[in-house]
Amino acid sequence: MEYSLHESDEYLEVKLVGDLDIDGTEIIEEELIPHLEKYRMVNLNFAGIQFVDSTGMGLLMNMVQRLKEKGIKVTISDVQQDVMNVFEILQLPEILGEEVFV
Amino acid sequence: MQSIVAKGKDINEAIELGLKLLGTEKEKVSIEIIQTETKGFLGIGAKPAIVKLTKLEAAEAQHDPDKNDVIEQAVSEINMEEVAVLSDFLPEREHEGEHQIGTKEPDALVGKAWVKNGALFCKTSPTHFPTVTIGEKVKLYRNHELVKEKTTIVTENDVYEIKVENEKKDTKWKVWMDEKKLKVFLYVEPGYKITRKLPDIEPSQHIELVVEEYKEVYNTLSYADVMQKLESLQVAHQFIRQEQIVKALEAKEPGTYEIAAGVSAKDGKNGWIELNVDLQSHNGPIANEDGKVDYREIRTIPSVDRGQVIATIHPPVPGQPGVTVTNEPIPPEPAYPVVLQAGRGIMEVDGKIVATESGRPQVKQKGRLVKVSVMPKLTHPGNVDLSSGNIRFTGDVEIFGEVEKNMVVEAKGDIIVHQTVNMASLIASGAIVSYGNIISSEISAGKHNMLVAELGNLLSIIQQNMEKMIGVIRQLLQSPAFKSNDFSRGGLQPLIRILLEKKFQSFPPFVKKYVEMVRNGENDLEDDGWKEIADSLTKLFLSLTNEVISLEWMIQLSQKMKELHKASVSPAEPDSYISIPSALNSRIYCGGDVFVTGKGGCINTKIHADGALKINGIVRGGEVYGGLGAEINETGSERGISTVIAVPRDQKIRINKAMEGTVLKIGNAKYTLKETRHYVSARLDQDDRIVFE
Repeated sequence: MEYSLHESDEYLEVKLVGDLDIDGTEIIEEELIPHLEKYRMVNLNFAGIQFVDSTGMGLLMNMVQRLKEKGIKVTISDVQQDVMNVFEILQLPEILGEEVFV
Repeated sequence: MQSIVAKGKDINEAIELGLKLLGTEKEKVSIEIIQTETKGFLGIGAKPAIVKLTKLEAAEAQHDPDKNDVIEQAVSEINMEEVAVLSDFLPEREHEGEHQIGTKEPDALVGKAWVKNGALFCKTSPTHFPTVTIGEKVKLYRNHELVKEKTTIVTENDVYEIKVENEKKDTKWKVWMDEKKLKVFLYVEPGYKITRKLPDIEPSQHIELVVEEYKEVYNTLSYADVMQKLESLQVAHQFIRQEQIVKALEAKEPGTYEIAAGVSAKDGKNGWIELNVDLQSHNGPIANEDGKVDYREIRTIPSVDRGQVIATIHPPVPGQPGVTVTNEPIPPEPAYPVVLQAGRGIMEVDGKIVATESGRPQVKQKGRLVKVSVMPKLTHPGNVDLSSGNIRFTGDVEIFGEVEKNMVVEAKGDIIVHQTVNMASLIASGAIVSYGNIISSEISAGKHNMLVAELGNLLSIIQQNMEKMIGVIRQLLQSPAFKSNDFSRGGLQPLIRILLEKKFQSFPPFVKKYVEMVRNGENDLEDDGWKEIADSLTKLFLSLTNEVISLEWMIQLSQKMKELHKASVSPAEPDSYISIPSALNSRIYCGGDVFVTGKGGCINTKIHADGALKINGIVRGGEVYGGLGAEINETGSERGISTVIAVPRDQKIRINKAMEGTVLKIGNAKYTLKETRHYVSARLDQDDRIVFE
């Protein structure tokens, strides 16, 4: 998985490209989370995410919860329909909060 | 269809006027003369001519050319010359009723059709065409063409021919033997000839062509035909029933005759056991001749003394062979003797089963095998207390005193207690009967116990959830955006963690409860399966094991759970029942029926009965379950204490007076009563909702 950051004032757009899976563990835990904690509003753009696995979704849940605990407003946008189907089977919108998915 | 009624000085004038109004020609209308003109005298009594003209629909595209012809003809016939004839004829019509129709007066036949010597005749009038309805089995030909409609108009200008159909059918028959070669049957369907004739029909404006039928039966079956067939079947002569063959030959209606019969074998009778003592222990109270019930006479216990004959063994009776219609012998079913398995306290002497010890006789029969034994009985005259110690016995136990605090009575047979059971335990493989009240005690009758029943219940809930979870995982594996390669590295755990987060969040508490119950009751559980499943469930849902867990492993675990649950749900045991006057703060388990006979009923007591549950008093607080239904006099309380009455989904709950706080549980459905209800009879409907009858 790769990502690119697009900053504007206190709002950060994170564009994710590739697969959200077990191989993304290090990127998310060691790079993304510490970096995102500096912002007050973060949007994760999922347009480039085609596949997910359970570890990847675990990482996503962990990331959103950690950022929320720090008072950072997190949103997820442009999720592809197939990926959204997987999220819905696992009731991810209910776990993370319906307001996260925009 | 467009039509018009026109008047004129005479018919012609009326028609001309009508055609003008319709804007059409003579050929394109049908004309009905309603009234011919009357000249009158000096203008007095004169009437105009009246006609009705109906425009024919697209005259060139007529459906029925025949009909069209008729109408054209009708039109052309109407001309001035005819009108005079018509006016002469009209008064005749008014007197039609007085006329003798049979008299062949030509005028009387006008507008009528008749049948004579099988031929159709008719005479048309300018105002009326006779009609004919064609009956069954009659064919009418007009100008050599078959008339297809049911009712038709006939005219003089056409040639008619009537044909009636005759029918003939040959005699049909067959002879066959049954599978056992014990009987030969003859089926015969006599042939017949039906002659039909059209009778003469008197002239009328409408006639129906109905035929007269003559049926003649020709049963051409011959005696030689039947005998030849019997010979080819090799039927022996002495088994043939001549009188039945004669009947068949004379038959006028189709029928089946048994024309030969062999002799069937008479089966022997297997050896059997005749009981010389009454072995029935009567469950529960029985009404005497007056219809009164004595709750003290709750049960009669069969017993035998040393040397008493319990049963007589009867040898088998051999059968008698039979013979087939082809003269082959039929051997009878062989008859076998009983095989006696003499248990404890039993001896066989000259075909008699004799008790060598005193006690309760037990006879169990399975096919030809008969097991007989005498269950010894321990009689304890006083209380069970610290001085007597706990009682554990391989047969029946009867205690005439009380069972006191912390004492245990355990029996492989039945337990009978004559006084109170207080803070004690009674465990019997058979039945438990107490004449004293049960207070803060544990009572268990039957193969299993309360723990197994409760664990089985929990296991069923867990297993159902597990199946659902497996279903969700399968659904995910089929989702195009879902990658499963991390399963091989980390197993299913990351996924299960997400599932437990929301979708199955109510699941872990059940698992926790199950695991705890197994841990606490480990010593009472004979089957190791309970513990093995507890360990697996812990690994899967409670601890964060690093062991890689596969979907197959989950499926196997679910299967094991299903089997164990099935084994824990035993059918009601007829020999295990509990009968007590009342229970307070107690736990009661029974593999069979439970009767609570007294007014006191059950207070804060938990009852599990795999059989029927019957409580004559009140149930207040606690939870009671009847595997074969529950019948209770009164439940709940005025203060609304929660009292649960449960049965499986195919059973009923009956309560005479159910007060607030009563919770009815049928299968998985639940209903809480908010106010008092009388004569409750509750069951599930087709949609698994509780309904009251």
